[in-house]
Amino acid sequence: MTDGIWVIAGIVSLLILVSGAVLSYKDSRFGLISAIIAVIVAFIASSITGSFGYVVFVLAISLLNIFSLEAMQNDIKGIDYGLVGLIALATMFILNTDDLAYVLTALVIVSVPTYILVMLREGAVDVEIGVKYIVFMVFATVLFLIGAIIIASGAEGIMLTLGYVMLVVGLSLEVGVAPLHEWVPDVFAAADPIPVSVIASIAKIVPFVAAFRILASTPDVEIAAISLTAVIAAFSMFVGNIGALTAREHARVLAYSTVANMGYMLTCLVAVSVSVSHVSVSHAHKEVQMAALLGGVLLLFANAAGKIGFFNAIKGEGACSPLLYTLSFSFIGVPPLLGFWGKFFILISLVSAALAAQFHWLYWLAGILVLNSAVSIPYYIRLARELGSCWKANITNYIVAAATVITLITVFLYIPVAWFPADIGSIEIPISLPAAGG
Amino acid sequence: MIFLLLVPLVAVFIAPLLSPRAASWLSSIAFSVPFFGVLYYLFAGFPPREIIFSAPAPVGEFYIFVDGISAIFSLSICAVSAMVALYALPYMEHRFREMGVNVEEEFRKYVFIYNLYAASMLWLVHCGNLIMLYVFLEIMLITAFLLIYMYGYGNRQWVGILYLIWCCIAGVLTLVGFLIIASENGTLSLDAIERVGIVAWAFIFAGMIIELPGLGPHVWLPWAHAEAPTPVSALLSPLTVGLAGYIMLRVALIDAVFFKVFTVPIFIYAAISSIYAGFSVFVQTDFKRLLAYSTVSQMGYILIALCLLGAGGEAAKFGAMGVSIQYMSHAFGKSILFCSAGGLIALFGMRDIEKMGGLHDVVPEISNAAVMGFMNLAGILTVGMFGEFFILRGVVEAFGMNLAYLLPVVFIFILSGWYGFYTMRKVFYGRPRSSVAASHMSAYLFVPLFVLGALSVLFFFPPFSSAWVPELFKAVGMGGSSVVSGGVSASAAVGGGLLP
Repeated sequence: MTDGIWVIAGIVSLLILVSGAVLSYKDSRFGLISAIIAVIVAFIASSITGSFGYVVFVLAISLLNIFSLEAMQNDIKGIDYGLVGLIALATMFILNTDDLAYVLTALVIVSVPTYILVMLREGAVDVEIGVKYIVFMVFATVLFLIGAIIIASGAEGIMLTLGYVMLVVGLSLEVGVAPLHEWVPDVFAAADPIPVSVIASIAKIVPFVAAFRILASTPDVEIAAISLTAVIAAFSMFVGNIGALTAREHARVLAYSTVANMGYMLTCLVAVSVSVSHVSVSHAHKEVQMAALLGGVLLLFANAAGKIGFFNAIKGEGACSPLLYTLSFSFIGVPPLLGFWGKFFILISLVSAALAAQFHWLYWLAGILVLNSAVSIPYYIRLARELGSCWKANITNYIVAAATVITLITVFLYIPVAWFPADIGSIEIPISLPAAGG
Repeated sequence: MIFLLLVPLVAVFIAPLLSPRAASWLSSIAFSVPFFGVLYYLFAGFPPREIIFSAPAPVGEFYIFVDGISAIFSLSICAVSAMVALYALPYMEHRFREMGVNVEEEFRKYVFIYNLYAASMLWLVHCGNLIMLYVFLEIMLITAFLLIYMYGYGNRQWVGILYLIWCCIAGVLTLVGFLIIASENGTLSLDAIERVGIVAWAFIFAGMIIELPGLGPHVWLPWAHAEAPTPVSALLSPLTVGLAGYIMLRVALIDAVFFKVFTVPIFIYAAISSIYAGFSVFVQTDFKRLLAYSTVSQMGYILIALCLLGAGGEAAKFGAMGVSIQYMSHAFGKSILFCSAGGLIALFGMRDIEKMGGLHDVVPEISNAAVMGFMNLAGILTVGMFGEFFILRGVVEAFGMNLAYLLPVVFIFILSGWYGFYTMRKVFYGRPRSSVAASHMSAYLFVPLFVLGALSVLFFFPPFSSAWVPELFKAVGMGGSSVVSGGVSASAAVGGGLLP
């Protein structure tokens, strides 16, 4: 039934997107309107079949991404809205299915449009950046898919570890976790800020949710492999923050901030693997997974809102100062802003998992996460100070204001501590892996 | 109760729409409403807790409440915030003109952040969930940072960042402690937490010792408190830092295992902190920096009182009372003193005490107010006298008539009076070192100081003291505490000569 509603809604949305893209050759506004309608149709279908809380955030972020494209002219004006719309559909869908094939399809649907978006510039196409980005992304996606398939085939022992490592490495390359982050600063600094704001925001959600759900369905992963992931996570946090502290160009600071944020995200995968793979944590199995998923998606939403805001500020050569400070504080993790709740639930998951005797070292991972949050303060404040200006009534300022509203929504404490956890709690996180017998 | 707390929050958004004068008065009234409300509860009895909503584990119930402890903290916060809001009118106008910015426009921003800052402190002492408490703690820190960063003196941006980094480290360490509590108890609701493990305590203590601060992590405080605009210093030093003591007190009333294990080391550390900072006062030449070191010394009192909670029994009760009363006394005293220092800055642009002296003849209003401030710190005929009494009584209960413990505490009390009178002599009495002429002084610069001074005396005498002392006794003996099983009743305290 659930899949049925979604298949119909998905087809309708795709038809709307394609029609809009075709008609946009006449007038680019068709592309804009069709993207908005398609995303809203998918939102309604997702609200019926899955987590309302999750999709409402995705809707808000995707609409911001779509509207921010208004701030740039490019050679495929009109189609670009459709590409972002396509990413939004897959992002909403990822929590609505428990089928591995659909999950992996969603990953590919999110990845491919970014290949085109990254090449867009004002009145031109930057093929060099595109080639660099595509090479990395294709490699990443292939690694991720092979890893997922090895895991799904019911592999054990060394093969399971191999599948796990390939999945984690593919993910790391895809989202820019250090030491596989080399493409991130170059692409973020060289490409136009608006497409980068898409790549750095909504496009980060699906890879993580896909990996999370696959790993939540994968027991018996070796502790050594999980520990390695934890080391990579910690390394990424340090590399990202040190890189951001020393970078001068705003886009590079944001690129390294992404590397750090993806390190935080990787800790969610550590917590979930610990919870499903080791009996000693079974007392808190469900709680650890739920806290990790909650923290992960909230941090991704906070990252998305912040990146959209800052890249639009770069595009508009400045934005209203108090808005940028609010976004900075959210990134730093100051409560009650959205970014805080992401880190809060991630820490809850790590601390809960750390209660098991052989995982006490997760306290250190939690400590490193906390330390890195503090280290990030100077560069976020610097960004806000350097990009901050007076309010101007233009599209980039409106986008920054809307992104700020998203980060402020958790001021109503009921949302992050009661409503959203209850909403996400209704989702069955593990998916059906064929070899596991569904 | 919740409506009382909502009044300052509403003022946060309305005040920026008004002129500076109207905004100042509105802010002052907004904090006076909960002040009188809590005062009413003190005499008429406290209302039951009000649940805002329930969240799934491990967060638990969000509720607000008022008991004897939170009432003392709340009254201090409301009174100081209300009075400093009025004091800030001429001061911040002077500061904005000095900075060369549009006074009216900048005052709107200032009053928004100021009210949010003060309101977050008020909510912090009334919320019944550790995560809610943490949220208000961070709002408080960030708003204070913004005020320093935007309107401070000297290298204000550097000082602001210094303050922010230290306080964020303090905040997150505390948060990790809270998270461990959440994992161990499945809730963060204050009345449902059953135990606080030593690891959780270690994180909370490490975080709060930065915030309090103790000797060592205190490096940020003299900078932040001295370079902040004076109305902010007048909240930062008297109210904000002491809230670290409140947080530790609340956690210790649930489970004081950490203080039990480390009673003596913490006592020694607190005494050294207090004495070192007390002597540091004498070598300062900047008036506000001098007051900042005095704050570190006074926070040593609070830490001594807190470590008594580890001793259990009556010592714990007296310790808990000492923390609360010391907070109130320091709040009144130090806000008066910072405002006095600010008055000299606004009138004469003077901060260097080497250039002061004989100012009593020029600004007797400020000089007399400063006397009241130091009387509070020294515990002379003000509510501070209760604070010193309960701390000393707690030390006797915990360690007996052991001079090794008693003498340092008595010496610290004497030291406060000593540096108080030293400062008075250096700044206000003696031979003038600069030629400054008397000029017109706005009543806003000194009347709020006298109101605070009067309150500190009023709270010393009945019927106020006979209302709050019993309620404080009830609060420290209330609910699942492992430290307050002893049997000193409120009536015994009153009848036993604790009250004048």
